[in-house]
Amino acid sequence: MKLVKAFLFMLVVCMGHAQFPLPVPTLNGVQEGIMNRPPEFFTMGWEKGLQLGTRETGMFIEVDSIGQQNIALLVDREQHPVLYTSEIETPVCADGECKLMHIRLYWTLLGDYAGFDRYPQQPLTKHDHDEFVQADYLKLHLLLLDDKSIFRQRKIEELVKKPSPSDHGDVDALSGATIAEVKESVVSGALYSCYVAWHLVHGEIAGKLKEHTLGLLDKELILRMLHNEDPDYQMFALEKLAKEEYIDHLERIATIFKSSIPLVRSYIIKNLPEEFWNIRANQIPFWDAFSNIDINSRSLLLEHLEEAPESSIVEVSNKLGSMTKNQLRLFLDFLAERNNEPEILENLKVFANKGNEICAYLVLQFLEDYKQ
Amino acid sequence: MTYSHKILLALGLIFCIASVKSQNLLVEAESFENPGGWVVDPQFVEQMGSPYLMAHGMGEKVKNATTKVSFDKAGEYHTWVRTMNWAPGDWEAPGRFKLKVAGEVLEKTLGQRSGWGWEYVGLAKIDKAKKVPLELMDLTGFNGRCDAIYFSTNQEEPPASPKKLAEWRKTVKSETNGPEETKTYDLVVVGGGLAGCAASIAAAEQGLKVALIHDRPLLGGNASSEIRVHTEGIYGNFERILKMLDTEHYPNGHVDAEIDQEKRDNNVKSYDNIDLFLNWRAYDAKAENNTIKYVDARQTATGERKRFTAPYFVDSTGDGWIGFWSGAEFSYGRESADTYGETWEEHGELWSPKVPDNAVMGSSVLWGSKEMESPQEFPGVPWAMPVAKDYSKVKGEWQWEFSRNDLSQIEDAEEIRDHMLRAIYGSFSNAKKEPENANRKLEWVSYLVGKRESRRLVGDHIFTFKDAVNEIKFPDAVVVEKRAIDVHYQTILEDEKNPDFISEALFYRGIQYYIPYRSLYSKNINNLFMAGRNFSCSHIGLGGPRVMRTTGQMGAAVGFAASLCKKYDVNPRDIYKGYLPEYLELIEEQKYRKIPESKK
Repeated sequence: MKLVKAFLFMLVVCMGHAQFPLPVPTLNGVQEGIMNRPPEFFTMGWEKGLQLGTRETGMFIEVDSIGQQNIALLVDREQHPVLYTSEIETPVCADGECKLMHIRLYWTLLGDYAGFDRYPQQPLTKHDHDEFVQADYLKLHLLLLDDKSIFRQRKIEELVKKPSPSDHGDVDALSGATIAEVKESVVSGALYSCYVAWHLVHGEIAGKLKEHTLGLLDKELILRMLHNEDPDYQMFALEKLAKEEYIDHLERIATIFKSSIPLVRSYIIKNLPEEFWNIRANQIPFWDAFSNIDINSRSLLLEHLEEAPESSIVEVSNKLGSMTKNQLRLFLDFLAERNNEPEILENLKVFANKGNEICAYLVLQFLEDYKQ
Repeated sequence: MTYSHKILLALGLIFCIASVKSQNLLVEAESFENPGGWVVDPQFVEQMGSPYLMAHGMGEKVKNATTKVSFDKAGEYHTWVRTMNWAPGDWEAPGRFKLKVAGEVLEKTLGQRSGWGWEYVGLAKIDKAKKVPLELMDLTGFNGRCDAIYFSTNQEEPPASPKKLAEWRKTVKSETNGPEETKTYDLVVVGGGLAGCAASIAAAEQGLKVALIHDRPLLGGNASSEIRVHTEGIYGNFERILKMLDTEHYPNGHVDAEIDQEKRDNNVKSYDNIDLFLNWRAYDAKAENNTIKYVDARQTATGERKRFTAPYFVDSTGDGWIGFWSGAEFSYGRESADTYGETWEEHGELWSPKVPDNAVMGSSVLWGSKEMESPQEFPGVPWAMPVAKDYSKVKGEWQWEFSRNDLSQIEDAEEIRDHMLRAIYGSFSNAKKEPENANRKLEWVSYLVGKRESRRLVGDHIFTFKDAVNEIKFPDAVVVEKRAIDVHYQTILEDEKNPDFISEALFYRGIQYYIPYRSLYSKNINNLFMAGRNFSCSHIGLGGPRVMRTTGQMGAAVGFAASLCKKYDVNPRDIYKGYLPEYLELIEEQKYRKIPESKK
């Protein structure tokens, strides 16, 4: 989802700005900068009018031969933490030749990659000294979004094919071709820059940033995350809320259930407290979403048929086509053990007689065996 | 077995019932004398009732399967075919075929019904009762399937429900309750993946008489040239044995799997005291007083049955069938993070859930295509597109994996395999629309489900993530591994726009971990060893040792343990309790035994 959001965002950016201006002055110098627009490459939402100021964190990234690169917390007007950022200057070396890479990185409050800004006067360059073009920056952005990239597992030497000595003498391994496994995801001719940037973003600092946020964490921040559109924030907030607190925020949780990713939905169903299931009215918005949610979440919801309100059972009996074969079997097994309203049986009959329903035969068999 | 014997055996499978009222004949498709281009698929016997013939032509019609059958009498016979439309919907069924009887093609197109069941073909006219030719004629090349053909002068359809069908089959075939032939061994190993092969070799080298029962023609399971996953992990103490069985590190799905296949098959066959039962699938195991008495198996094409008795059994079936049938404790799904302290905060719910569930790692179906010298056609596959959507690829690696919480990797394996076939054909069809792929042709698509996780039998020790992280050197450590723990999840969980058949791996890198012998025998079945993915572990515990050199180590460790069990006439647990030093010494010795030239 982040990839898609990022791509859409970039389309807008590409159409609107040939060169995106540097949003804030340097952090390593005087920290009077105000940020009032999103980073050029960015994964998160940006509320209209949002204005961020900087606050020192005392954290830094150590870069070889350059030293410490400070990390700042970006806060909104009410001093709520929003992002982390660092202006990075780091050497990128290949074949014994080093160049400086200058880039401003952003992280979420959970230490995940959030985006970057480039410096138009100091563009990133490739191995052959060509400057990055817009598409290359976008590719870098997409690579940085992949926190499970193969880069995590491999050393840089493992990402290039060693040229055969007979062809190239004793050429440094780095000048070999990028291996096929990563070729599609890295900027052509800039493997080393991509590798360095990825490890800056996803290295040890990611965990430290999350730890820093945990130090700032209070109920307000948890609820801000719950109300954020980012699924990682939602999941984090849901994990931090005590189960019994779910009831206090049911409206928001029901909204997330409808709109978020399958992983978050499944977490919600599995962690709703017993108290929730005991009050049938609570459940209605969840059952209403039945045919629009992913299959895994639907399976988990079906585990609660016994507690479901009758109106939702009737509603589900009208959505048999959205179930998988095994889900339908489970639902029919549930119906087989009880007396069902005429409306439910009517819905089943309609479904069983549809010519194009793959699992109609299961319902037909059920109706044959079912005795009111 | 001579050719004439085979024919006799095949003819023996054609079961006639003569009664006062009607003449009936059941022909099992897998027993056709010449399957032509159709393949025998025995993977789903426990669910749909029988091995079957499948036209796996990757989009090109396969050669007809042919056989000859004899009726008691000439006449007109109502004819049914047991089949299934494996991708039903608003399109022509992908796997359509026809039946030819006595030289006449029957009009009805088969392979069109949802779910396994009988399709009525029509009346077949049999003029001469003896040696009547039958042919299955594939119309599409896309996995049409035929389980059986039934002829009857009576128009009553054979039973549909699996239970009734099984009883009916027994009656029609006049089968006795158990196999008539019983074979006795020191050790019966069920499942010829790397674990089962290694167990057989280790035990055989120690002088045990071993039966190795495997339901495919080729050994190796996921490493075989039929599935083509390369072997990962280290050799531990068993380099000599595992080098006879493992693979090179070629890309998954690579044709070089055939070279290693030959090596593996030849090596296992070179042991005189391993009786190899290829194409035999176990279908039952019986325990009395928590001790397995026998395993019953059936030849996948002829239907012949044998009973195997032994003091000790190894379950290396992957799905833990022997344990399941004999009443061994087992687990399936993900434990809660707290159950064994398996939290890894970085990956949260994707790694180990707060609340347990029945999610597991999925199964893969590997495939590939090749460049030809001229343009290649590929037929339209509308039935594949709801799965593939706009995904476009020309080959599939390990990431082609499918798991969903409403599907059991055991009970719904056929649906899982079929889902992957739709993903493959649909994605290739999309790729073929690109001009650069005009000359591409499907080279190989597996039809076997390459499973990662299913039942895990419970032993005296349940191996967990914590054991690996803490690198606990158990007193009975017999398997050692350095490869990362690698747990998969479906990428659709993070983004509904992702294909539902693509997975992602989460790696935990440690230095070295050990698996204790106590995880390799059943907690409650006294004479049952297990090796392979069905060993005793948690869901996360399986993440590392599921790779095949590690499962091979388990097999070898179990084979050596069995030899001591025999020597002292004791059960697997007793080796841990009373003979551990001797056992560990035996395993340690393996490091120093050279690989004989003939076994390299």
